[in-house]
Amino acid sequence: MLDLTNVSITFHKNTVNERKALDQVSLHLDSGDFVTVIGSNGAGKSTLLNAISGSYEIDKGKIVLDDKDLSYLKEFKRAKYIGRLFQDPLKGTAPNMTIEENLGLAYSRGRRRGLSMGIKKADEKLFREKLSQLGLGLEDRMKTKVGLLSGGQRQALTLMMATIVTPSLLLLDEHTAALDPKTAAQVMNITDEIVKENNITTMMITHNIENALEYGNKTIVMSQGKIVLELSGERRKNMTMEQLMELYSNTAHETFSDKMLL
Amino acid sequence: MSMTVIQGAFELGLIFAIMSVGIFVSFRILNIPDLTIDGSYTLGCAVSAIFAVNGKPVLGVICALLAGALAGCVTGLLQTKLKVQAILAGILTMTGLYSINLHIMGDKPNLSLFGMDTIFSYFSFLPEKLVYLVVVAAILLVVVVILYLFLKTQMGMSLRATGDNEDMVKASSINSDAMKILGLAIANSLVSLAGAIIAQYQSFSDVSGGIGMMVVGLASIIVGETLFGRRSLLIGFISVIVGAILYRFILTIAIWIGLPASDLKLLSTVLVILAIIVPVVKDAIMKRRERNA
Ligand SMILES: Nc1ncnc2c1ncn2[C@@H]1O[C@H](COP(=O)(O)OP(=O)(O)OP(=O)(O)O)[C@@H](O)[C@H]1O
Ligand SMILES: [Mg+2]
Repeated sequence: MLDLTNVSITFHKNTVNERKALDQVSLHLDSGDFVTVIGSNGAGKSTLLNAISGSYEIDKGKIVLDDKDLSYLKEFKRAKYIGRLFQDPLKGTAPNMTIEENLGLAYSRGRRRGLSMGIKKADEKLFREKLSQLGLGLEDRMKTKVGLLSGGQRQALTLMMATIVTPSLLLLDEHTAALDPKTAAQVMNITDEIVKENNITTMMITHNIENALEYGNKTIVMSQGKIVLELSGERRKNMTMEQLMELYSNTAHETFSDKMLL
Repeated sequence: MSMTVIQGAFELGLIFAIMSVGIFVSFRILNIPDLTIDGSYTLGCAVSAIFAVNGKPVLGVICALLAGALAGCVTGLLQTKLKVQAILAGILTMTGLYSINLHIMGDKPNLSLFGMDTIFSYFSFLPEKLVYLVVVAAILLVVVVILYLFLKTQMGMSLRATGDNEDMVKASSINSDAMKILGLAIANSLVSLAGAIIAQYQSFSDVSGGIGMMVVGLASIIVGETLFGRRSLLIGFISVIVGAILYRFILTIAIWIGLPASDLKLLSTVLVILAIIVPVVKDAIMKRRERNA
């Protein structure tokens, strides 16, 4: 369960460049909710996810995840409960370390990292099993440095890493945007499978309206640092892409950019 | 060149290999340009010398190791908690250490250990000619094995990842600040250890002995990498050690053919620059050839 109450972030406060990136945002998600987030460039989508994950410190407001107040907790401490994927596939993995070392690091998330061996024999088997779920043949390349993998493979691996210890919340920031259409669809399918299988509360930013309606059980539309529309249930089910775009433009008095039509 | 000179170069190469492994930790594994080195090397010399003068050479080496770790922590805290730029943080600690090192040496710019017991005195049961070589090689071996094993633990992996991709590290609930401080402490403790051994090896400690040590370490790392490339952790360590020994031989040969000792630092700088530009030039020539083919 995630609760945001009046969360605000202003960049470059008291300068000519002052920019309200988040303006009193409130949002409630139930456990297991999978919400897709859309909105034009600069609407504040990434800032919202960064505020939740702790990459950006919030100015005001409250962030509560499963009864824990995260509002002013350090980023690495919140990461105990939050799994994250970025748009850039290079951001989520350590390129000079092997696949198994990357998974080993992810697998000890939330526990004290002491002087026991980084990868234990028993872990290796689990990693293999998990990787074979991806269907990319990575299970046979455990000793390969991650820097040698393709963007799609790295993103799929990052997804595995973010969920190998089931997080309370999964944050996806356009995590398929840098991939070719076929790989993007593949990674999107794996994402959906993992989220459903483990019933993970998830927020996914996307510029793909079709995906936004197809996946998940809720959709929110952001504009100028605010959530301007929340869709769920019957209303969302009966929504077509065209209607969603029209609704969006009526609410925000803006039209979709070409990027959003894609 | 006499056998004694060759052996001497080899021994020095092994001692500087310990230092270079330390610099490898900060420069390559953590990806931080840490300039504390020059100061923490002298810190090791000073601590080790003053303890040896007072008849406690082994304790001196151990305390030097700890003092180096402390110096690394200071630089690390400046960098992480106070957000001082990496280079500046190192320079601040190094400069401050200059005064501290002088105080440790009893406010004298140099200390002689002639006739005093050193760590090497405890190994007089070995053949006289081999004492230095064996002791130094053993210390290097122990250091590298422990460090290698540590880097394979969970904490060690977290440290390596911090230098590789800090975003990923934070997202995996690792305290990257703590890892940086730890890494700098390890790096500087090894540098200080090398200084401690040198002081007792040469029976001498000089407050300006650390000048240019950063470049010496870099030269060893880069010379090694030109030979071995950048591959696994183990090969990385081997390459640094071979690089440090080779580098020492290059200096020895330079002196042997008549280069004045005062020009050695310049030679070190030129070597590093050469080692950096050779691959770049090679690449450019290859590309031009391909284009003209
Ligand atoms: N670190 C930062 N410093 C200053 N301004 C920022 C920073 N991050 C974001 N902003 C500003 O905040 C606003 C919202 O940015 P954000 O990245 O959240 O948009 P977005 O909805 O993710 O857009 P996109 O679809 O392009 O990714 C923008 O005006 C942006 O310029
Ligand atoms: Mg964004």
